[in-house]
Amino acid sequence: MPETNAARVVELTAVTKDYRQGTLDVQALRGIDLTIYKGEFLAICGPSGSGKTTALNLIGALDSATSGSLKLEGHDLKTLSRRALSRLRRDRIGFVFQAYNLLPVLTAYENAETVLALQGVSAAERRERVMQLLAEVGLAGLEERRPDQLSGGQQQRVAIARAIAANPAVVLADEPTANVDSETAEKLLGIMQQLNRERAVTFIFSTHDARVMDHAQRIVRLVDGQVASDERQQ
Amino acid sequence: MTGLKLAVVAWRNLWRHKRRTLLTLSSIAFGGFLAVLFTALQDRSFADFIDTAARLGSGHVTLQHPDYLDTPRLTRTVQGSAELRALVTRDSDVARAVERISGQIMLATASDSFGAFFMAYDPELEDASTLSFGEGLTEGAMYTTPHDAGIILGKKLAQNLGLKIGKKVVYTMLDKQGEIVSGMRRLSGVISTGAPSLDAGLCLLPINTVREALGYASDESTAVAVFLSDARQSPAVAQRLNNTLGSGGRDASRVALAWDEIRPELSTFIAMKVGGARFMELIIAILVAAGIFNTLFVSVMERTREFGIMLAIGYSPGQLFGLVMWESLWLGLVGIAASAAMTIGPYVYLVNTGIDMSAIGGTAGVATEVAGVGFDGTLRVGIFPEHLVIIVLAVVLATLTAGLYPAWRAGNVVPVESIKLV
Repeated sequence: MPETNAARVVELTAVTKDYRQGTLDVQALRGIDLTIYKGEFLAICGPSGSGKTTALNLIGALDSATSGSLKLEGHDLKTLSRRALSRLRRDRIGFVFQAYNLLPVLTAYENAETVLALQGVSAAERRERVMQLLAEVGLAGLEERRPDQLSGGQQQRVAIARAIAANPAVVLADEPTANVDSETAEKLLGIMQQLNRERAVTFIFSTHDARVMDHAQRIVRLVDGQVASDERQQ
Repeated sequence: MTGLKLAVVAWRNLWRHKRRTLLTLSSIAFGGFLAVLFTALQDRSFADFIDTAARLGSGHVTLQHPDYLDTPRLTRTVQGSAELRALVTRDSDVARAVERISGQIMLATASDSFGAFFMAYDPELEDASTLSFGEGLTEGAMYTTPHDAGIILGKKLAQNLGLKIGKKVVYTMLDKQGEIVSGMRRLSGVISTGAPSLDAGLCLLPINTVREALGYASDESTAVAVFLSDARQSPAVAQRLNNTLGSGGRDASRVALAWDEIRPELSTFIAMKVGGARFMELIIAILVAAGIFNTLFVSVMERTREFGIMLAIGYSPGQLFGLVMWESLWLGLVGIAASAAMTIGPYVYLVNTGIDMSAIGGTAGVATEVAGVGFDGTLRVGIFPEHLVIIVLAVVLATLTAGLYPAWRAGNVVPVESIKLV
């Protein structure tokens, strides 16, 4: 396991996750130990069914582990109430989904400011932060467009802006380049890498896209719900 | 996120499926339209019935001898009725008060004789707002003074007696001592009320001549009929008058009775109609609520994945619940506005012109009698403001109630399961 002096953002210790799929009992994760540090640009990869998305769901407090311990910035997620988990997701976790998942009735600006609005940040501060972010992801001038007026790549940029607007501890990106062409994927990865460098945002990707792995500083490979390898690359 | 922002998102969500929303709104609007018109028809009809009944003699509140209601004898009188009249008109809800003498009378001509009900009134104190018979005058003239000669009869009664204007009729009554008194008068007017029982059995007389005939004092009568600006205040005014006059007990010399005590048959008729209408309105409300529920539920189920995403990015379950409740509230409010737009035209027409139901039924020009009260068969509307408020609140309540379960479902979406859905 790579060592670093940076703060620990995510700590998984002997985490297992079992669930039932139809009549089958599935062991999605079989005792994972994984520590993720602040500012990492990390890709969790592996074949379908290896547990990538399950791991991401657990880290994102969208699901709970069957056993083991999962801490986000030192908070044991098992001890948190539903309301506290909701606040944790709002304040400390950003999500970027494969299918963009913007709210269709909101404009690009409104989508990007959603989390800040939920946090109660003032309108003036929201405007300043969101306008700057949208400019950083290359969407200046498109703020008032609704998702159906944006291309897939543009929608994913809005999703990235939404994910990092509130300065989360970690951004979880589930196959963020799966629905865009190669050129757009490169641009999106470039944007996320730049945000990672300049804002020290921790990115965790679930992917089997080689381009994402090429950009990642660290690659964790899962096979059959276990960590098969954990490598840092230059 | 503030409630206002949720309200904006909810408003936009409402129009994501315009056709579905418009269909739901049209059902709310039509439900509101029916509820308002039904209620307005009832309010106006029943108010008219009560007013007509009041103007047939008894008023909205009647001051009379405590035993007169059960056994209406001419020996059961109210003394000092002129003073009473002055006293009751001090009540802010009382518009007018007039003295009346009423009882049984026997009328005879050379050809036939009939028993009838007579009512004596003071023509100098009354007009159409206290006595409706003048509106039905078909021949002759109404009295102008309380000492007038002559006699006014219902049309059918005059026909039965074979009387024409100016012809003689002999009347017989029992006086205050129970002795028979009789006299002769000439027919001076004929009235047609539309109520068959009245047309065949009503006799009007000027009050002072009756007082003289019966041996009454100049301020003695069988009743003081009290007219109110709002008939719905009758029970309260009757209660106040009883308190003021110290006549709460039946052993007192006079008692104030609301119209529904004087005319229980009309009160029962109205109560039955109101009960039936309430049931109808409940069914309308359930149908409207079912339509709203269907729209919201389908809308929520379609957006399960979206709600999962919203929970993932930080919306709380309570905020999702609130979002759907806002959508529900918007449906109700816009539905009320649409309902108002749909209702205003027909309502104004029905207030001013009405529908002649007798013409529809092929009996144009023939009036009808309901619970002893005649009405002209024209349906008009006029809703009491408080009933309009109740309908508006009921629509809002129905929409909010219909939204509760879909909202609860939205708030209880499991993010990890819903996000998997495509």
